[in-house]
Amino acid sequence: MSTDSNAPVTRGGPSPLTRLTRAVLGALAAPSWPGTVERPLPQRHVGTDYDTSWSRTPAARLARAVITDNLTRPFVRLVADPTVIGAEHLAPLRGPVIFAANHSSHLDTAIVLSALPPRYRHRCVVAAASDYFFDRRWKADLWSLTLGTIPMERARVNRRSVDLAAELLGRGWSVVIFPEGGRTADGWGQEFRGWTAYLAKRCGVPVVPIHLHGVRPIFPKGGTRLRPGDVEVRFGAPLRPLGAPELGSRSELVDESDDEAGGRTQAGGRRQAEDPGAPGPGSGRRREEDARRFGARVEQSVAALADEAETDWWSARRRAARGETPALRGPDAAPWRRAWSLPESRRASGARRRRPPSAPW
Amino acid sequence: MREILVERSLPRFAAARAAAALAGAAGGVAVAPLRLADREERPLPGPDWQHVTPLLSGICGSDLSTVDGASSRYFEAIVSFPFVLGHEIVGVVDDGPLAGARVVVEPVLGCLARGIAPPCAACAAGRKGACERIGFGHLAPGLQTGYCADTGGGWSDGLVAHLSQLHRVPDELADDAAVMVEPTACAIHAAFVGAVQPGERVVVLGSGTLGLTTLAALRHHAHPGALVAVAKHPVQREMAGALGADQVVRPDELERAVRRLTTSLALARGRSTSRLTGGVDVVFDCVGSSSSLASSLAVVRPGGRVVLVGMPGTVHVDLAPLWQREVALLGAYAYGAEQTPDGVRSTFDLAFELVAAANLERLVSARYPLERYQEAVRHAGSAGRRGAVKVVFDIGRSSTPRWRGQPQSATTPTVTHESPTPTHESPTHEKLETNA
Amino acid sequence: MSPRPGFVLEVDRSTPPTLFWHGEGWRLERLPVGSRVVYPPEPHPALADPDAAIRHALEHPAGDSAPLSSLLHAGAKVTIAFDDVSLPLPPMRGPDVRQRVVEAVLDAAAAAGVDDVVLIAALALHRRMTDDELRHALGSRVFDAFAPHGLLLQHDAEDPDGVVHLGCTDQGEDVEISRRAAESDLLVYVNINLVAMDGGHKSVATGLASYKSIRHHHNVRTMQQSRSFMDRHHSELHSSNWRMGRLIAKAGVKIFQIETTLNLDTFPSQFSFLQKREWEWSLRDRATFHATSTALERTPAAMKRQIFQSIRSPHALTSVHAGEVEAVHDLTLADVHRQQLVHVDGQADVLTMGLPYICPYNVNSIMNPILVACLGLGYFFNLYQGKPLVREGGVCIMSHPTPWAFNPVHHPSYIDFFEQVLAETVDPLEIEAKYEESFATDPWYVHLYRTSNAYHGVHPFYMWYWCAHALQHLGQVIVVGGDRAAVRRLGFKPASSLADALEMAEDVVGRDPTITHLHNPPLFLADVT
Repeated sequence: MSTDSNAPVTRGGPSPLTRLTRAVLGALAAPSWPGTVERPLPQRHVGTDYDTSWSRTPAARLARAVITDNLTRPFVRLVADPTVIGAEHLAPLRGPVIFAANHSSHLDTAIVLSALPPRYRHRCVVAAASDYFFDRRWKADLWSLTLGTIPMERARVNRRSVDLAAELLGRGWSVVIFPEGGRTADGWGQEFRGWTAYLAKRCGVPVVPIHLHGVRPIFPKGGTRLRPGDVEVRFGAPLRPLGAPELGSRSELVDESDDEAGGRTQAGGRRQAEDPGAPGPGSGRRREEDARRFGARVEQSVAALADEAETDWWSARRRAARGETPALRGPDAAPWRRAWSLPESRRASGARRRRPPSAPW
Repeated sequence: MREILVERSLPRFAAARAAAALAGAAGGVAVAPLRLADREERPLPGPDWQHVTPLLSGICGSDLSTVDGASSRYFEAIVSFPFVLGHEIVGVVDDGPLAGARVVVEPVLGCLARGIAPPCAACAAGRKGACERIGFGHLAPGLQTGYCADTGGGWSDGLVAHLSQLHRVPDELADDAAVMVEPTACAIHAAFVGAVQPGERVVVLGSGTLGLTTLAALRHHAHPGALVAVAKHPVQREMAGALGADQVVRPDELERAVRRLTTSLALARGRSTSRLTGGVDVVFDCVGSSSSLASSLAVVRPGGRVVLVGMPGTVHVDLAPLWQREVALLGAYAYGAEQTPDGVRSTFDLAFELVAAANLERLVSARYPLERYQEAVRHAGSAGRRGAVKVVFDIGRSSTPRWRGQPQSATTPTVTHESPTPTHESPTHEKLETNA
Repeated sequence: MSPRPGFVLEVDRSTPPTLFWHGEGWRLERLPVGSRVVYPPEPHPALADPDAAIRHALEHPAGDSAPLSSLLHAGAKVTIAFDDVSLPLPPMRGPDVRQRVVEAVLDAAAAAGVDDVVLIAALALHRRMTDDELRHALGSRVFDAFAPHGLLLQHDAEDPDGVVHLGCTDQGEDVEISRRAAESDLLVYVNINLVAMDGGHKSVATGLASYKSIRHHHNVRTMQQSRSFMDRHHSELHSSNWRMGRLIAKAGVKIFQIETTLNLDTFPSQFSFLQKREWEWSLRDRATFHATSTALERTPAAMKRQIFQSIRSPHALTSVHAGEVEAVHDLTLADVHRQQLVHVDGQADVLTMGLPYICPYNVNSIMNPILVACLGLGYFFNLYQGKPLVREGGVCIMSHPTPWAFNPVHHPSYIDFFEQVLAETVDPLEIEAKYEESFATDPWYVHLYRTSNAYHGVHPFYMWYWCAHALQHLGQVIVVGGDRAAVRRLGFKPASSLADALEMAEDVVGRDPTITHLHNPPLFLADVT
């Protein structure tokens, strides 16, 4: 029964206003799909399926170079004030390299990129966890552009990611990897995963170990605030699997035309005396060291750099010689004792400014 | 004949509503379309109708809603303008078989009063409040005396009533007690609608006349395990305790008190108690506002019942709790016949008994003459705060007796407050007039 | 300059007005000529090297106990219990005493190679501490090493699997304490002895106990027979705890007790006038007093509370003892008495006191009327040895705004206690008989105690029992400047000013009564003869 007793009685239906609105919006809305026609499934282009090749086009690379040099580096200088030690290890290197660093903070990538010399900084990609940095479209776009990330699955060696990394290495791109797979939760290092060694062996490129000291207090895992501090970036001697072909043999084949520095490789370039992996001249090819042992050596190398950062170079060298370098993973003891023996430089103060439970003041 | 007339005027009702929003309950009395009019006596609508002269007529919450323009538009089809307010009436019958008797008027206009034969099923069973022919018959539409243009109402010198509406008042019952019979009948009916089982825990929200009479009715006709009254003002708290409440709490203390009483848990939303998981079995809402309904739903247990006794307007209430906890919301309107352990009895009979047994005449706190109707209504609107419960019009004492058919000249009557004995007349009171 | 001892001043016409605490604020009141004011001793100098003192104490224990390092070995199950947020008052500046002690203990544990270490906040039936409060008490290093791994616990007295019944004393008192603590190879207790009531066997027997155990000594009869509970040799509360403590030791629980005392330098330098004698206020003190009083008058209550609750005290360590419980406690009490004891001759007719904004149970919270009563009639009234400062049948006058305000997160059961129980009766025995059981077992309070930051459902009752001795002893209690409805609900009389209060008191104790005023801060212990 209508409330207005004089209104005409009709069959009912939507009001004129509703009809008008529907007409206007209906003209623009997408039509529905008929039931009998097959409709393809929507494509998901996130995670490891995300295609990052657009971020290596010249336009994107230029944008990234501008962002890195004018935003990222000044920000890192402000927040972390990094001191770079061991850059001379990079000087004689030609061609692509895998950089393996310890991981304790989201700032690590920015710090590493800031510390690299320009010829590597603007020609490298960063392997980033696909489930964290590539889970949404906008995140994938953002990190690919600003940091040049490529998706890498954390838990296992994903065929697609590894093939991409290998292809990029073949084309002269360096790769920055955090072999731990994620940031440390308690301050001690985690087990180094397998791709670094695998990639190095497959593509025949050296691995440069990097240790970042003092980043965790600035912005730890789970942190909410930035606490500016001082950071040291240590580069170690480049590593090659024992029994691998000589330095320079593979990298000569790389096209250096877009190398910013314009350096050209020398055929049979100068070999580093510190590289224990390279065979002596004239020695026959030995069987190459396997990936697992090579990976352990990379981890050991980073641990030695960590020891150097905590104490001094000489004590660290002597301990390394004796095989007494403290493990990156910390003592094998109860969690509280591991936390108790954590060096000061790795402690995150963790104090969060949180309001007490709702007290009606 | 003087009567307080309500006329149809939408703008003035709107203004009254606005005024009430600013000034509180009964704030609209100054602008509402309400006036003390001098009118011809009403004709009798049919046989079995009598003239009745009111002695006392009470001011009820529904009357205040009408004055404030807050009544729901639902009632538009069942009131007829202009009408005279007042449905709690004790008076003297002027003519007919009951001439000279003191009576209480049962205001509901059912089939019998409307001359509809045969009566509908409800009226035949004595449940006039549920009459299905309401608004028809040879009377103008009006759900009760006090809302009908043809009958008049209690706030006047005279009204007409059908024989079936009249209940004789026993001689030993004073006028004050008799005027409480109609509100008490509403309360008793509500108590029966609530169907409180022995041992159940009950909360009565609101301690005005309706809440206090409901408390008394529950004490007499049910055996609740715990009876909690919610009262804001000291006089109300005292009366609630005297009328049988086990515990009297303030409105803001209610949830905590119910939580303790039922030892239920609460789902916190940043505060310690905000949604109880348990609650009482029955809640009587004798206020009828959005916040009282929300409070009722907050303290009733899952599967419990809320009885809406106070007349609501259009209220905004979140019904999610009602749905999720399977709470029954029952309306309780007027009275009729109740199923008691002694058989079916009319609510009015039960009301007469309860008024006497619980001494409910002590709830009458103030009397006013018709001339001071604006003060009276304002007093009724702020009764709790001013330490009053029921405010009545004292018509028998304030008006001079007069012959039928003769126009009146103004008198200067007095106002009495809470005095059981009549005060002396003022010296300027005019003499009895004859043949003026 | 060596600290001056406490003394009793007799007020004459040259005496300046006396400072009275008044909740979040203070007043200057003129006491009648002839009144006595008890001034506490000045804070003693602190230890020069607290960390060294702590390490020394751990290795040179008192009583029949081996040094800590020899009690720790790899594979040992160690539990470290510590006093909760109710001490010290006000909360002290970092580093907290507990932080120093716990770090020293953990260094020893790490050196010994102990893996299984758990920290427990010994709450008894108090509220759980927030993360910020734990971090403040223990320091970030300890908190970050233990909390993320779930090794920093708060005692849950209502966990049926978390407590173990060790037996009954010869008086039939159940002894039930934390299971983890009872089943450890070593239980280390870190205590702060702010007043003479704390410490000794009470630390473990109450701090780590359950309701079933605690109710044997937290009841009206025990409190009425504790005269006072600051004097353990005349305190039924302590006798009961001592019986329980000895049973715990006999049941094989190895306790290494570490007790510390503070010098009660209670307020930072901006508020130094609070601790100074009024006639020694410098110009700066007088200016600060007037400026803060005026500013506080215009400040809303909520902001005042926030300001005061954020004050951090410069308390400093004056002694630390470790080893066997009873031997350690005797040494600690001697230090407490040395710092706090004041000799007072004779009782008075009227006892006056100003109540501060903080008591053990409203740290970072609101001081509700029940806590006002507990602070005045429970704690301050009982700061005596020998006899109370006021005679039997005398009057106690307290100054506090006593707002009708409750923190619903911390004190939910207090609200119901105030609204329903006190509305009916204020007699402690009646309250105990009629209501304690239902509040103690109400599942909602238990839930809030275990999961939120609420005091146990029975806690407001304990606050009321704390007043039982005073309520029995006094003739009348008057509150100056308090909310009238709240004061009446407590069963006391409200007065607008001290002069009016003294007039009202004269109706009870007669004209020209003798008056003693407790001047605080800092705290003291009156030795009344």
